[in-house]
Amino acid sequence: MALRVPPQRRNPDHPMDAEPGRARHWARIGLGFVAVASYAWFAAFARPFSGAALISVLIPGAVIGALAYVWPPERIPPPDKVDLTGMSFWVIAIAALFEWEASAFRDNTRTWHPSLTDLINPLLSSHDVKSAAIVVWVMAGWGLVRR
Amino acid sequence: MSFTRLVTIVGFAGIIAALFALEFLARRPGSKIPTGGQWLGYIMRSRAGRVLVLLGWWWLGWHYFAR
Repeated sequence: MALRVPPQRRNPDHPMDAEPGRARHWARIGLGFVAVASYAWFAAFARPFSGAALISVLIPGAVIGALAYVWPPERIPPPDKVDLTGMSFWVIAIAALFEWEASAFRDNTRTWHPSLTDLINPLLSSHDVKSAAIVVWVMAGWGLVRR
Repeated sequence: MSFTRLVTIVGFAGIIAALFALEFLARRPGSKIPTGGQWLGYIMRSRAGRVLVLLGWWWLGWHYFAR
């Protein structure tokens, strides 16, 4: 026969008694994801270079900015220092990416030297892909706010 | 597809693969390579770094979703 522990005798450190808090936590995450996915779905309908498209990226930017400075979440502690040699690998790879993009932009021949934007735009023409990309972008912003 | 276009695409794919490889290598125990989150967090320790990184994030979204 299962015994029901009265609320005043619950131990918050015990995993079974902490379940309601954890359930609320996951419920918040789920609601947040549904909200972001719904927003991304409608934002993906905006035509490029339109006012609606600009507003559709301004709103998440404003929300993320507000979260960062007005209601900051618990941040993941940054490292006190980073290894220079290890960091140099990242710098080289990112510099190579920028250089490759710049050379494609300079050549200005989309057929022979497409830029990364020219390669990605056909993928983003699909509404589903664009919606998913917006969700990933917003989640990346949230990840940055937590750093 | 022209050879030049193919080289350009392979170049982009190689660089992006290298970035993923760096992240994978950084997550090995005892690795001296910082993860992407770690070096971004290091840059974002200061207010200016934080603003710059978030502006860069927003610019990426504007560039690919609004243009």
